[in-house]
Amino acid sequence: MSRVLRSELLKLRTTRTALGFAVAGVLLVLLFVLVGVLAGNPRTIADKRAILSIGDPLAVVLLLFGVVGATAEYRHRTVAAGALVVPSRLRLSIGRMVAYGLAGVAVGALMLVVAFAIGIPLLAGKSGPALVGSDYVRAIGGSLLACGLAAMLGVAVGVLIANQVAAVVGTLVFLFVADPLIVAASADVGKFLFGSALMAVGGRGNGGHRLAFGPAVAVIIAWTVLALAVAGWVDKRRDIA
Amino acid sequence: MVGDTSAKAIRVVGLSKRYGGVAAVDDLSFEVRAGAVTGFLGPNGAGKTTTLRILLGLARPTAGDATIFGQPFAALADPARTVGASLEISGLHPGRSGRNHLRSLAVLAGLPASRVDEVLKLVEMTGAANRRAGKYSMGMRQRLALAATLLGDPKLLVLDEPGNGLDPQGIRWLRDFLRAIAAEGRTVLISSHVLSEVAQTVDDVIVIHHGRLVDEGPVDRLSGPQRVSVRSPRLADLAAAIERAGAQVSRGEEGVLIVSGLSAAQVGDLAFSAGLPLHELAPHAASLEEVFLQMTSDEPVGEHSPDALPPGAA
Ligand SMILES: Nc1ncnc2c1ncn2[C@@H]1O[C@H](COP(=O)(O)OP(=O)(O)OP(=O)(O)O)[C@@H](O)[C@H]1O
Ligand SMILES: [Mg+2]
Repeated sequence: MSRVLRSELLKLRTTRTALGFAVAGVLLVLLFVLVGVLAGNPRTIADKRAILSIGDPLAVVLLLFGVVGATAEYRHRTVAAGALVVPSRLRLSIGRMVAYGLAGVAVGALMLVVAFAIGIPLLAGKSGPALVGSDYVRAIGGSLLACGLAAMLGVAVGVLIANQVAAVVGTLVFLFVADPLIVAASADVGKFLFGSALMAVGGRGNGGHRLAFGPAVAVIIAWTVLALAVAGWVDKRRDIA
Repeated sequence: MVGDTSAKAIRVVGLSKRYGGVAAVDDLSFEVRAGAVTGFLGPNGAGKTTTLRILLGLARPTAGDATIFGQPFAALADPARTVGASLEISGLHPGRSGRNHLRSLAVLAGLPASRVDEVLKLVEMTGAANRRAGKYSMGMRQRLALAATLLGDPKLLVLDEPGNGLDPQGIRWLRDFLRAIAAEGRTVLISSHVLSEVAQTVDDVIVIHHGRLVDEGPVDRLSGPQRVSVRSPRLADLAAAIERAGAQVSRGEEGVLIVSGLSAAQVGDLAFSAGLPLHELAPHAASLEEVFLQMTSDEPVGEHSPDALPPGAA
């Protein structure tokens, strides 16, 4: 496995895809923090913590990062090159997932630096109770976890669907159409969807109908494992070129 | 080692692959000797790529088996050191340099980074290796694909149309390259739809058409029976002498006989002993291309009646 992981990490470093998503992430975080502080006027601890919990908006970017990265292997036919060296496609997919998970955490860490660098000085000027150490730990841990898990889930979805355009469109439709519709129809069901669970882990905590942090992490891991199991089964039977 | 030439490097048995209603490969069986260079020939759509993809574990057969040194590809203990393969369309991320592409494969195979530089040198790609692959020409992509096949220093190379998109210099370079590879005692299976491209390089050929085996054997056998053309002012006497010797003659152009069943030397000796003058004596092998075209033509299948065509319309 370590060979697969090292090879995947090398591949991640040698295209501009990761860089592109990191830049998109920085822009999104800047926007999120600035709009949140300047327009949102946060007063409570929960409001302020939400500003720094950038895992919520970022998880979507990292989910797409995983989807794009995994489907690029099919699009550019590099899956075959790998399979000629390591015939087990499941091993390759798992290695890829772990590599993207690590990359997701790394991108998340970079974004947290950006968010904290602007957010903390801006929040210091706001009235109401100040954030304490545990709030920061929660924001950091939740964001990193959400970013890593989202990238891994993205890889599993990418391996499952393989077609890049279909996978990206499908993911967006699921997150921004299906997920809200299901949540609206039944919040008790909706909170178990990965979109909501990612927000619960990376974002505004368990307000309203969200799962608590621990269960939300478990739900995302369950989705990821399920997606990987189905993807592995499909991928094994798939003809690749 | 590959010294045992009776060993089979590749064995394909009853292989079939259907795509919907199309039988891309249809009950195909053949063997590839270890230590030989084998041409895998067939016109476009014959099923070459499909067969090779199944052999390499990239596609699943509808029926049958394909094994490499007695094992299915997926069961090989160390695939990269056993088989080096390049497919028709080589997989390359356009944003990654050729060198990094090879590095990722070397890492995956547990090979040292120095091996990447070695194979780049072998295919004469060192200069372009750091450029993004999206900017590569067809020939550069082919060379890079060849470099990838050599990474693990494998004893078997499977090359799907490696000459595609190469200019005449490139084709010559490839031919020399394959000769050198073969001289090292490696087994090579090389597919092509152009016989002349590989005829000078291969020992054996496998010819398929419509997914079925058409012919299999040493390449010299494929060239068909040799014929000799002779020119003589005493054509009728010469024809009679040759027929008495048990060979067949037919009339060629004005003043020329086509002899089959005798070598040029035999025809010359015969004419000398009969005291007949010869003005021209030329061995005349049916070109490989002719034989190949004949084998893979659709005419005998009779999909459309030749009568429907005016004479000479072909
Ligand atoms: N993925 C696929 N889906 C459907 N049909 C396919 C697929 N791959 C190949 N075929 C069909 O199978 C047949 C054999 O194709 P294949 O690519 O193996 O031929 P080939 O001998 O490699 O031809 P060429 O010399 O053009 O490369 C063709 O009729 C082709 O259309
Ligand atoms: Mg082909």
